[in-house]
Amino acid sequence: MLNPLDIIKKKRAEAINRIIGKGYFSTIRVYVGMASCEIAAGSKEVMAVFEKAIKQGLNDVYLSQKGCSGRCNLEPTVEVVEENKIPVKYGLVNKDRAKTIIDKHIKKGQVIEEWTIQ
Amino acid sequence: MDHSVTPQYKIILCWGSSCQKLSSKSILDRIHQKIDELKMGNNVDIILSGCLGMCSKGPILIINPGYYIYGKITPEIVGEIIEKHINQNKATAAYLIEEDHLFNRFYRIFGDVKFYGRQMRIALRNCGIIDPESIDDYLSVRGYESLAKSLALFTPNQVINEIKASGLRGRGGAGFPTGYKWELTAQEKSSEKFIICNADEGDPGAFMDRNAIESDPHTIIEGMIIGAYAVGAQNGIIYTRAEYPLAIDRLHIAINQAKEHGFLGNNILGTNFSFNIEIRQGAGAFICGEETALIHSLEGKRGVPRTRPPYPATKGLFNKPTVVNNVETWANIPVIIQEGAAWFSSIGTKNSKGTKVFAVAGSVINTGLVEVPMGTTLKEIIFDICGGLPDNKTLKAVQIGGPSGGCLTKDHLDIQVDYESFAEIGTIMGSGGMIVIDNKSCMVKLARFFLEFSQSQSCGKCTPCREGTKRMLEILERITTGNGKPEDIQKLLRLGNTIKKTALCGLGKSAPNPVISTITHFRNEYEEHINEKKCATNDCSALIVYEINDACTGCSACIRICPTKAISGIKKNKHQINQNLCIKCGDCFDICAFKGITRR
Repeated sequence: MLNPLDIIKKKRAEAINRIIGKGYFSTIRVYVGMASCEIAAGSKEVMAVFEKAIKQGLNDVYLSQKGCSGRCNLEPTVEVVEENKIPVKYGLVNKDRAKTIIDKHIKKGQVIEEWTIQ
Repeated sequence: MDHSVTPQYKIILCWGSSCQKLSSKSILDRIHQKIDELKMGNNVDIILSGCLGMCSKGPILIINPGYYIYGKITPEIVGEIIEKHINQNKATAAYLIEEDHLFNRFYRIFGDVKFYGRQMRIALRNCGIIDPESIDDYLSVRGYESLAKSLALFTPNQVINEIKASGLRGRGGAGFPTGYKWELTAQEKSSEKFIICNADEGDPGAFMDRNAIESDPHTIIEGMIIGAYAVGAQNGIIYTRAEYPLAIDRLHIAINQAKEHGFLGNNILGTNFSFNIEIRQGAGAFICGEETALIHSLEGKRGVPRTRPPYPATKGLFNKPTVVNNVETWANIPVIIQEGAAWFSSIGTKNSKGTKVFAVAGSVINTGLVEVPMGTTLKEIIFDICGGLPDNKTLKAVQIGGPSGGCLTKDHLDIQVDYESFAEIGTIMGSGGMIVIDNKSCMVKLARFFLEFSQSQSCGKCTPCREGTKRMLEILERITTGNGKPEDIQKLLRLGNTIKKTALCGLGKSAPNPVISTITHFRNEYEEHINEKKCATNDCSALIVYEINDACTGCSACIRICPTKAISGIKKNKHQINQNLCIKCGDCFDICAFKGITRR
């Protein structure tokens, strides 16, 4: 019989493996805020833009929803994380901004300074 | 600033008391000196943070981007660290420390240091970081490890002792020590006990609980399971509002996932401890956030409070011993178990330990959820974290605790946030609403707004609350419409104090707070409304008078926009307003291009 600490250790390792299996180690990870406050501000539309882009062949991007980080006045927020680079967090993202983020930041690596939260 | 070429470095130096003892001050001097030497002043921000909770490895220095944590630094080595890290872009491995704490992962993930740098996130540690609908995400950030630790290493008594020693107090507002509450329930001999999570969040402007549930539901569930193990409960209930559909969805998802993984149900994690959680939806009555009313509502009765004692801890749901704690309280439990009571009680002030989440709203640049260590000043929260007031507005008051709390003025900005110091100045911690008010708002109207809320939510069981708040509201309505009488202030105070002393439950006892505290701090505004029939902020529309002055060119724009046809006149001649028809909507004032309308 395994003790609870061993069980949880195993469960954690399995969970991490499943997350990696979903493509966590992609070059770029994109997180869209999806609490009801963010959804009210329009984050479902933003999420749809990223989902569509991935369906249409945007490679090597790990897309995930996340909860609310408490930045009410700047919602919806989108985070673009790349290993060994500063995480970039965009505020007030709408459909058009999301498309621009895909075209400029994700495809060409150009951070759009004026939309970032510093 | 270009992210790829010259990063903007943020140096965060721990300014907690224990690091300060270890020469933080001379380290800071040395950092400034070194940065001047390197002429990097434009690329570096230096931030002094509150205690980062790594006292044993202090003094602590964090360099962003990248969340590099340096420990045990001295004035001698800090120059070398800055030189290598900032000038040559190489972290100095020898002084780096690796930590795998459950809290404060924010800098590394967001980089949004101005907002998060002074915060310390314990209850909200995963909010905005993990996918709330994925138990894998929660497990990957050491989720359910505290539960496993409790089951494997602690007896129920030891869990209670740990929570007692941590100094955690109820985050719903009243601040009763959580560990003692648990102990009372644990000592009861009963075949059946309950755990309740009070998520019936109803204060206007408060949304901490909704956010915590929607963003990290598993934390609350884990906290509840640990609580159930400690007190010997078999069933748990999360009582939340039907108006929170997404929160309810995510709780359902989380509960099902927890069952699949064996964290809920029979024989949790292979032990002989069993526990289940169900969700109940409230119909939105504010009174059901009061624990005895909440329990009545769960029993299928009308949601009205009863006298205490007996407290729910001994006689609660169906007369069985019941622990009722707020969402934020439950969210703190896993961290206390994981990091230890000694660590938790090192944060905060003498009698208020840990952190508190505030929902900051109103006239402030960065509205949002802020979690800060107890003892942080209001000034730090409003000006440093939330960026102060927009458009050069000046701060007039801060309303804390929603309809149960009171107003503070700018003289109170240096007050440290904790249960005692709030009580001293006539407000309460409440569940954490914080509304920043600028000079454009009328305090009498604000008091009326909150009293209107409490009055409409009074359950009617006890006379002081049912009748008293109604009479107070009538007086306030009279004052704000220009019919106030000189004796009204005294009447309000007398009624308010009587209600505070005699009402049955917390709702009634605290309902007069907004009125009493605004009278205490802004009596002149009440007097102005009553004696001069005037509202200096023009917020009380009934007291405003619109008149047409000589600048009027007779363009008739106001005649066309007036919804009640109160304005008349011939073109190119000065118009007039019929005061009997005017509804003070202000449309004429806004549309006039010639400043031809006076508002007073």
